Amino acid sequence: MSTTTAGPSTRRPLDVLAKVLVVVAVVVVALPFVWIAFNAFRSEADLGDPSSLAIHPTLSNWSDVIAQGVPAAALRSAIIGLITVAVAVVVGSMGAYAISRSRQRSAPMRFGILASTVLPPSVLVFPLLAIAVRLHLNDSLLIVVAAHLTFVVPIVTWFMVSFFDGVPRELEEQATIDGYGRFAAFRLVVLPTVLPGLGAAGLLAFMFSWNDLFYALILAPGNARTLPVAIAGFNTFQGIKLGQMCAAILVAAVPVVILSFFIQRHLVRGMSGGVLKY
Amino acid sequence: MSSLHQAHHVDAPARLGGQGRLARFVARVPFGFWMLTPLLVLIVVFVAYPVVYSLYLSFTNYRFTNPDASQLVGGAQYVKLFQEGAFVHSALLTAIYVAVSVSIEVVLGFALALALWRQERIRNLTRAILLMPMFVTPIAVGLAFRYILNQQLGPLPAALGHLGITYDFFGPGRALYSLAAIDAWQWTPLMLLLLLAGLESLPAAPFEAARIDGASRAMIFWRVTLPLMMPVVAVAVLIRMLDASKVFEYVYAITAGGPGTQTESAQYLMYETGIRYFDLGQAAAMAFVFVAILSIPIILLYRQSRKGQLA
Repeated sequence: MSTTTAGPSTRRPLDVLAKVLVVVAVVVVALPFVWIAFNAFRSEADLGDPSSLAIHPTLSNWSDVIAQGVPAAALRSAIIGLITVAVAVVVGSMGAYAISRSRQRSAPMRFGILASTVLPPSVLVFPLLAIAVRLHLNDSLLIVVAAHLTFVVPIVTWFMVSFFDGVPRELEEQATIDGYGRFAAFRLVVLPTVLPGLGAAGLLAFMFSWNDLFYALILAPGNARTLPVAIAGFNTFQGIKLGQMCAAILVAAVPVVILSFFIQRHLVRGMSGGVLKY
Repeated sequence: MSSLHQAHHVDAPARLGGQGRLARFVARVPFGFWMLTPLLVLIVVFVAYPVVYSLYLSFTNYRFTNPDASQLVGGAQYVKLFQEGAFVHSALLTAIYVAVSVSIEVVLGFALALALWRQERIRNLTRAILLMPMFVTPIAVGLAFRYILNQQLGPLPAALGHLGITYDFFGPGRALYSLAAIDAWQWTPLMLLLLLAGLESLPAAPFEAARIDGASRAMIFWRVTLPLMMPVVAVAVLIRMLDASKVFEYVYAITAGGPGTQTESAQYLMYETGIRYFDLGQAAAMAFVFVAILSIPIILLYRQSRKGQLA
């Protein structure tokens, strides 16, 4: 494709087209973010007229959002996310290492993990709800953690298999020669070499948990509601609550967008199961 | 050394005598198995057991309003599901949704990936901005676009109004395509990410050869780039198809299945059936038929991913 030697003077129409496409894409992606952020600080009167960009800056949308329990819901989401990630990172990295190192039978295990990552939540959510009701765990953080583990653990495992595949076996063989036990070799020698991948997997896992609506909505719609469930509650166009809705959207979106900047480089490799390295 | 290799095998001899103490047992069972145990336990308890329980539910008339009265009804739930037509309707419109959204995503994603390929200077910042949508919780994206595209209060219809265009984004015959467009806004970034990585991992030699032969850019694209990229495109498309088929949040946030049932996606129908109508047996049956349909692309995805690894 593009011969990179071509200087600006010899730029061809296709290159110009490519630049235009990228600029348009950046605008299309950025505008909704800008619009939501802008409107989170506008007053009710400003929001009533969609043709006007008038702004009387106000923080009342934010105080309304706080009054309606969004910070508490965000805290619940964070707790659920952290517990889920802690379990998933330990269990997933151990399992991924075993899968990566088992020469025989690795294929069906890899497939099993991949299949569980794409299992539709509707298969699991109804039995989980029935179980939760029986154990009096519905509308609790615990049942949401259990539900999130069903998709976060396979994702972390899938992600980590590709990173362990990239670690040469000689490394742990040398470590065992040096007197490490097998688990110590895993924990102290192999794991540190995949730490960036593990960090990315952990952050990605947190985002998946933080972003889930389906499980949380069904299993914990009340007092234990997570941030996405709370935000879904702003889904009312009665009266003009648009400003509050925008503020609530930002509360959910900004933390993960910031986190995302740290994991982009590792994302491709982990998601493609090592097919692609980035 | 050799014992180390042997220990990799999950099926290493693990005959356990009755006199075997715990330590002996621990030493005999291969290390890999111990490492796998927490994962297996977790999968069995939190995934396999619910799946089996779900399968059981699908053969009962379990209702939330009266769980104690539930009894086995054989395949009645499955018969009902095909007789009533709501599920078939939702499966078909979900298929349309997936086809439209993923087509847009793969074309735009490929075009953007090509545009950003070998553009080191602008790539990092641009990429970071372009990837932002895929990290936002879909319910927030849904609500944002419900506002932006709203006919009375949204800025886009207002702007179109100044140009003399009236377009109801969520009106009859349009809502499904608007939802697919929102899907494309959020998920083209993922396609871009995967395809750009694919492009950057392509070998340089075929391109050199084509250039020496004096091939035009169009020819290089059709004869070299595209064929080399096909495995990556296939994986990316399947990943997106599986994900798009689970569409729920946009429907929940924006249309609630309407107008009429025009956007009642499979996942949304199952939610309605199980949660609003308390009919867990019917919802579980729907989920299993849905899985049966989805298992086709899952197997394709797996085959493709194996092929990619061998390459």
